[in-house]
Amino acid sequence: MEYLLHLLILIAFYTLLAQSLNLSAGFTGLISLAHAGFYGIGAYTTAILSTQFGLPFWINLPLAMLIGGVIAFIVSLIALRTVEDYFIICTLGIQVIVFSLMNNLMDVTRGPLGIPGIPAIRFFGINLDDKISFLALSVFFVAIVWFILRNISHSGFGKTLKAISEDEIYAQSIGKKVYQAKIISFTLSAILAAIPGALYAHYISYIDPTSFTVNESIFILSIVIIGGLGNLTGSFFAAAFLVLLPEALRFVGMPDNIAANMRQIIYGLILVAVMMTGKNGLKEFFLFYKGNSVKQ
Amino acid sequence: MYNQLIIYVIQTTSIYLLIAASFSLIYYPAKFFHIAHAVIIASAAYLTFLFAKQLSLSFTLAIIAGIAGAVCIGLLCEILLYSPMRKRNAPALAYLIASIGLYIVLQNCISLYFGDDTKIIRTGEITVGNEIFGAYITNIQIITIFVSIALFITVNLLLQLTSIGKSIRAVSSNPELCNIYGINSNKIILIAFGIGSALAAVAGILSAMDTNMTPTFGFNLLLYGVVAMIIGGVGSTKGLIAGALLVATAQHLAAYYIDTKWMDAVTYVILILFLIWKPLGFSGKQLRKVEI
Repeated sequence: MEYLLHLLILIAFYTLLAQSLNLSAGFTGLISLAHAGFYGIGAYTTAILSTQFGLPFWINLPLAMLIGGVIAFIVSLIALRTVEDYFIICTLGIQVIVFSLMNNLMDVTRGPLGIPGIPAIRFFGINLDDKISFLALSVFFVAIVWFILRNISHSGFGKTLKAISEDEIYAQSIGKKVYQAKIISFTLSAILAAIPGALYAHYISYIDPTSFTVNESIFILSIVIIGGLGNLTGSFFAAAFLVLLPEALRFVGMPDNIAANMRQIIYGLILVAVMMTGKNGLKEFFLFYKGNSVKQ
Repeated sequence: MYNQLIIYVIQTTSIYLLIAASFSLIYYPAKFFHIAHAVIIASAAYLTFLFAKQLSLSFTLAIIAGIAGAVCIGLLCEILLYSPMRKRNAPALAYLIASIGLYIVLQNCISLYFGDDTKIIRTGEITVGNEIFGAYITNIQIITIFVSIALFITVNLLLQLTSIGKSIRAVSSNPELCNIYGINSNKIILIAFGIGSALAAVAGILSAMDTNMTPTFGFNLLLYGVVAMIIGGVGSTKGLIAGALLVATAQHLAAYYIDTKWMDAVTYVILILFLIWKPLGFSGKQLRKVEI
C-alpha cells in the first residue's frame, strides 16, 4: 500500500514536469532538453532554504519558483536567439552547465554528496510526512497546474503560441510578438517545473545531482512526446505509463538491473515509432486518428 | 609543463576534429543532428572489445570488424529510420527527436550486453610513453594524432576532388535540384552516412584505447564535436579546425588552472557565448529557418 502511494506520488511529479514542459515544447514548439535542470533548480533552492535557513514549504515554494523563473528568463534571452536543432543543443548546454554547478559547487550544493535531512512539509503545525496527505498535496498542485495550463491553451495567448508552433514567420507577419511570447512560454514552463522540484525535495528528504541529469531531461521530453505535443491529458497518461512500466516489467519476472535498461529501450522505441509514423503521441496508434507530429 | 599541455591539446583537438568532420559529413547533406552518431562512436569501440577480448581475434582484425560493424549500424539507421521519414516528408525536428530515441535504445542495448562498468580495450602494459621536449606522449596518442589528421585531410580531399564528394556537396546545397539533375540524393545521403560512421568508428576506437570506455562515452565526445562544429561555423573546414582547437584548448586550460570537473561547463559556456555574439561561428553560413 505504501509503495502504491509512492508510485502515485511519482506519477503526480512526472505529470507536473511533463505538463509544464508541454507548455514550451507542445504549445510553442520549443523542444527543450533543460527541463530537468529547472526541476533541479527548484529542488536545490528548496533544499538549501529549508536546511540552512529553516524556512517552511510555503515560503520555499514561491522562492524556488522565483529563482527558477529568473534563471529561465535570462537563459531564454540567450537560447531563443537560436532555432530548431541549435535551440535543442543550446538547451542541452544549459542543462549540462546547471548539472555541473549542482555537482561541483561544493560550498553551496555539497556536490555529489547531496543535501540530506530536508524536513517534511508542515501546515499549521501538522507534519505532512505520511504518504496519503503528501499525495493529496501533490494532486492539489497537479490540479492547479492542469487548470492554469488548460486556461492558457484556450486563451488568446495560447492561440498565439499555437500559431508560433505552426508557422513562426507567419505569426510574426500578422503582428504577433513572437520573441516575447516564446520568452514568456519558456519562463513560465520553468517556473512551473520548480513546483515538482520543491515537492520532490521535501518528499524524498535527500537530493543529489544524479536526479537532474541530461537523461532525466530526455525522459521528461519523452513523456511529453509519447503523450502527444500540446495534449495535457496525454502527458498525464504517458507519465503514469512510464512510471508504472518498470513495475510491469518486474511483474513479468524481469530482474531489476535489466528492467532499468528495458524501460529505457521501450520508451526509446516508442519515441522512434511516434516520430517515424508522424503521429502525435502514442494514443493515435490506437485511435487510428491522423494528425500532425512536431510542427515545423 | 606547458609542453605537456600542448601535447594534450593537440591530441584532443585531433579527436574532436575527426568527430566534428564525421558528424558534419552527415549533417550537411541530411540536414539534421544525428544524435545516434554517439552510439556509432561507442559501438565501434565495444565491437572491437567484443572481437578482441571475448572472441580473441587478432587486434587488427578486431579493429576492422569493429569499424565494419559500426558502419553497418550507421547505414541501418539511415535505411530503416531516416530514409522512410524523408519519404514521408517529416518536419526537421522529428529527425532529431527520433535520433535521440534511437540513441537511448542502442546505448541501453550496449549497457545490457556489456554492462555499465568501465571496459579496457588497450592491450599490453601501460607505459610511461615517449619523452619529447620534457613532455610525455604515449604511442596511442601519437597514433591518434597522425591517424585523425590524415583522415581529416583525406575526407576533405575526397569532398573537394572526387565525384562522390562533389555529389555530397551538391546535395548539401540543394537536394531538389540534384534530383532534377539525376543525382539520387537518398543514395548520396546513404554514402555520407557510411563514410561518416567509419570516421566516427575510428575516433571511437582511438579514444577508447587512450582513456577506456563506458557505454555513454560516445555522447560526450559527440557533443564536444558538435560544439566544435557550431563554434567553427557550419560548412567551413578552417572553421572546423578553429572550433576543435578552441574547445580542446579551453577544456585543457580549465582542467589545468581550475579543475577537471569544470571541463564540461566551460565547453558549453563557450558555446553559449558564441551563440550570443557570433551565432554563425568563426565563418559560417546562414542558419536555416526560412527556405524560399
